[in-house]
Amino acid sequence: MTVQAPPIHAAARAVAASKIYGSGDTAVRALDAIDVTFEQGRFTAIMGPSGSGKSTLMHCMAGLDTVTSGQVLIGDVDLSQLSERDLTLLRRDAVGFVFQAFNLVPTLSAIENITLPMDLAGSKGDSEWIDEVVDATGLADRVRHRPNELSGGQQQRVAVARALAGRPQIIFADEPTGNLDSNTSAEILSFVKRAVTEMGQTVVMVTHDAVSASYADRVVFLVDGKIVDELADPTPERIRAHMNQLGA
Amino acid sequence: MLRLGLKSLLANKIRFALTASTIMIGVAFVVAAFVTADSLRGTFGDLAEDINTGTEFTIRGQLAFGDLTEGIPPPVPESLVERVLAVEGVAAAEGGFFVDGVIPVDGSGVAVTSFGPPVAGSNWTVDEQISQFFLITGERPVGMTEFALDVGTVADYDFELGRDYEVITPTGPRTFTLTGTMQFGFPDNAGAGATFSLFDKQTAQEVLGYGDEFDQIGVRVEPGTDLAAAEQQLAAVLPDGVEIISAADATEEFSDAFETFIGPLQTILLAFAFVVLFVSAFIISNTFNIVLGQRIRELSLLRAVGATPRQIRRSVLTESLAIGVVASVVGLGLGMAGALGIRAIFSTFAAGLPSGSLPLSLRTVIWAAVVGIGFTVAASLVPAIKASRISPMAGLQEEYATTSRQGGVMRPVVGGLLLAAGLALTGLALFGDFDSATPQLITLAAGGAIVFIAVAVLSPLVAGAIVGAISRPLPWRFGTPGQLARNNAMRNPRRTAATAVALTIGLSLVTMVAVMAESLKVSFGERFSTAVTADFVITANTQAGLPKPAGSELRAAGLGTVVGFDFDRVELAGLSDVDGIVTELITDVTAVDVAGLAAVADLDITAGSLGGFDPAAGVLIHEDAAADYGLDIGDEVVLGFVSGDERVVSVEAVFTRNALWSDWIIDQSLYAEVSTTSFDDILLVATTIDDPEAARAAVDRVLETYPQADVDDRQEFQAGIESNLNTVLVISTVFLGFALLIALIGIVNTLTLSVFERTREIGLMRAVGMTGRQLRRMIRWEAVAVALYGALVGLVLGLAFGVATIAAIPDDIIGTVAVPIVWLVVFLALSLVFGLIAALFPAFRASRMNVLAAIADE
Repeated sequence: MTVQAPPIHAAARAVAASKIYGSGDTAVRALDAIDVTFEQGRFTAIMGPSGSGKSTLMHCMAGLDTVTSGQVLIGDVDLSQLSERDLTLLRRDAVGFVFQAFNLVPTLSAIENITLPMDLAGSKGDSEWIDEVVDATGLADRVRHRPNELSGGQQQRVAVARALAGRPQIIFADEPTGNLDSNTSAEILSFVKRAVTEMGQTVVMVTHDAVSASYADRVVFLVDGKIVDELADPTPERIRAHMNQLGA
Repeated sequence: MLRLGLKSLLANKIRFALTASTIMIGVAFVVAAFVTADSLRGTFGDLAEDINTGTEFTIRGQLAFGDLTEGIPPPVPESLVERVLAVEGVAAAEGGFFVDGVIPVDGSGVAVTSFGPPVAGSNWTVDEQISQFFLITGERPVGMTEFALDVGTVADYDFELGRDYEVITPTGPRTFTLTGTMQFGFPDNAGAGATFSLFDKQTAQEVLGYGDEFDQIGVRVEPGTDLAAAEQQLAAVLPDGVEIISAADATEEFSDAFETFIGPLQTILLAFAFVVLFVSAFIISNTFNIVLGQRIRELSLLRAVGATPRQIRRSVLTESLAIGVVASVVGLGLGMAGALGIRAIFSTFAAGLPSGSLPLSLRTVIWAAVVGIGFTVAASLVPAIKASRISPMAGLQEEYATTSRQGGVMRPVVGGLLLAAGLALTGLALFGDFDSATPQLITLAAGGAIVFIAVAVLSPLVAGAIVGAISRPLPWRFGTPGQLARNNAMRNPRRTAATAVALTIGLSLVTMVAVMAESLKVSFGERFSTAVTADFVITANTQAGLPKPAGSELRAAGLGTVVGFDFDRVELAGLSDVDGIVTELITDVTAVDVAGLAAVADLDITAGSLGGFDPAAGVLIHEDAAADYGLDIGDEVVLGFVSGDERVVSVEAVFTRNALWSDWIIDQSLYAEVSTTSFDDILLVATTIDDPEAARAAVDRVLETYPQADVDDRQEFQAGIESNLNTVLVISTVFLGFALLIALIGIVNTLTLSVFERTREIGLMRAVGMTGRQLRRMIRWEAVAVALYGALVGLVLGLAFGVATIAAIPDDIIGTVAVPIVWLVVFLALSLVFGLIAALFPAFRASRMNVLAAIADE
């Protein structure tokens, strides 16, 4: 476990963040005084066995959930100081999301889904940038289609495009390829990787799959609500080796 | 499986409560209808028994046709009393009469008036048993200066014993001292709201203008007398045209007379109940459909592990049975409360209906259970069958069906056939020949119901397009939440249609009533303004009308032409219609002073003339009557009056316009020979005074002594009629408002279920930045779009129904179709508000949803 001084270029960080469900004897410590920093322009994967708290960490970092104690910051904004409404606006304007499934509003077309956060904000967005993002998805000719007319992979690409469209400070992806076959997964993860390397985005991805995690610049390992290890420039083999070590 | 059905109910108490509440309101209506009617029947039944107790026989003139609700029997001579008393076994016999329109004026100058129960005068018979009145305080009136009043009136107005009061009688206003208070019937019943002024016999004969005649003679026999033999002996002494009836028959007849208004009241309330139940059935069916759709995985799992279709069906029906039982029980209670409310309304408008118990008969309970359980279970039948056909594989489907299947060709075909059948039945009801009203009403109700079912079947075909058009402004006005609201309203046309149909039904009925009322108003206005040329219309604010002396005094004052109108029923014997079929027709006849008629009315005579009219043997007829019976100038017709008198009259003129009068007009001098009335129903006055205010003042001055007189100029009279029609419109809108309330509950139900179904979608939108406010706005405008769709279809249907009904109504009642634009706009605005209200709860729930839980929702 590495403890380091927060660099100036942190997109998001947690400081002694704890999340406790329940109270007394039945209390469950999902996050245990976690300190972690997600640097700008980097692709970080969070890994860990089931129940390790990786999803909870992501939800708390993304402003979908609140920590019980400690601090979570996106940029310089302390999420614990925000009201429910301000949290919503922060998610809309500063955070991008890609979920495992059910990422798109079924009654909206692909392009409407992509611009949904901006539309909700009542802003036009940067149309050149949006065009660029749409081009990057390779779905330019299908943007008028409804989600149920797109394949699973296409739907996830639209979801990534939505996360990118508003140029958020950070994008959180929760098992974004969990429902996809390996070819489609590779395609989506390459797309995410390009968003980081070519577009300078910051991405944090929760996954339990070593191949997926190997697309990241850095892998953070979580066990029992604590960060127990991390790995730079991972390969699937090294990740599996670490995982086995942790499990043992 | 039984437990499963019940568990699913208890798992969602709010949905259960909402669904049950729709049927509950319907059951409450049914119960209130029966209880109110039974309560009235009980009241008048008791009264009928009370007043006939102690009088074994009643002797009175025979009605030529009809019953006591249509005419007053001709009087019997006073001399008959002596002959009756001479019959063996007769202990007492006394004559009495009853004159409506005898009006006491209280200490502060306020006249006792009423639009409902009579304000009457009578003689107080001496024999305590024969008397229908019971002394409460003070003493019986004796002589020309004393009278007694019923306790109800004494309490409602400020009358005091021993003081002098003015009483407006048919022979003019007179002053009497109040010597006592009394009660019609026994002291424990409240007299049904009627006002009675009582006098001794000589006084009554003189001031009520009855001379030496009675309406009836009450007969009491010695105890132990053989009633059958006594009746025979009595009948033997009666002259022709006089009949004897037993106490039992008199009691029944009295009750029957009241049944003529209690029955229709019950029918009207039951009709409203039917509408409410019908609308509720749609809501229940829709709710079951949605819920079962959402439980598709659970149901298919059950099928996969071995549940038979029959078991699935039974579990759904168990659930609906439970809803029906609860709705029936609670509805029964609500209905009793509703009956109390209706009675309160009655006492406000009809002055003091008695406050007896509210009778809950077994029949009422059975009906509550039958309609409550019956409608609920029937409404859930189709969803139950659909649920039982769910395949065990259905659970493997990835997502819930978010868009409905289009019903293929079956939907338009079935809908079209139903529509044709419904329209055919409705047309038959409106234009067909029916002997009585009941089968006609049932045909109309069945036809209307089938039309509505057809609309419900066809509606999904157009719902998407129409909702899309209605909600076009939403994205423009409300941005992305507006766009999403629009998409949601359009995404499942079947659900939108099923939700909106309840509002469609309610609003189409309201619209139909509004169109008919408006058309009636305009038609009457047109007829009135062309046919009546008089400056003033004088009516009375009691049922009896204006005493004849009022008209005489106006004439004597030389204000201009004064014409009195009397309305009665007459039997036309031996007429043959256009097909040559001889009929005996009972119809309305109007008696007027024909000589003055041209001055107050423009009849637009097309054949013959009013000049040289023979008052004793002439009749004026409307062109419709002339056409129906092939009558021409000079043709003779036999008129039979309720008194039994017959007159042969000949047609002297044919007219085309009528407003206040019927198709048959005779002269008042002829009418005076065949009736006992001493009242005019209406007076028309054409003044020779140019200044309207001076004319008005002059008329008012003459009528100062007739506080019951209502003097209206042309505009006021027309406005009065219009205001009455508005009252009818408002009352029926309020009652039909219950159907609208149920439609609102339906929208709440559907929307709540839709929100539940879209949990993940809502969670997603919240995650990517939709604020709670935007979410509420989205749900709110979806509700409004659905409500407005239902309302628009309802308006169009209601207009069509209204126009069709008007076409079926004779032109001389409604001749013009008029569309009340203002009302229609109000209805649309109300529907919009309904949508907003319906969205409150689902929107609140949605915005309270935990975003994380929503995203994780399966």
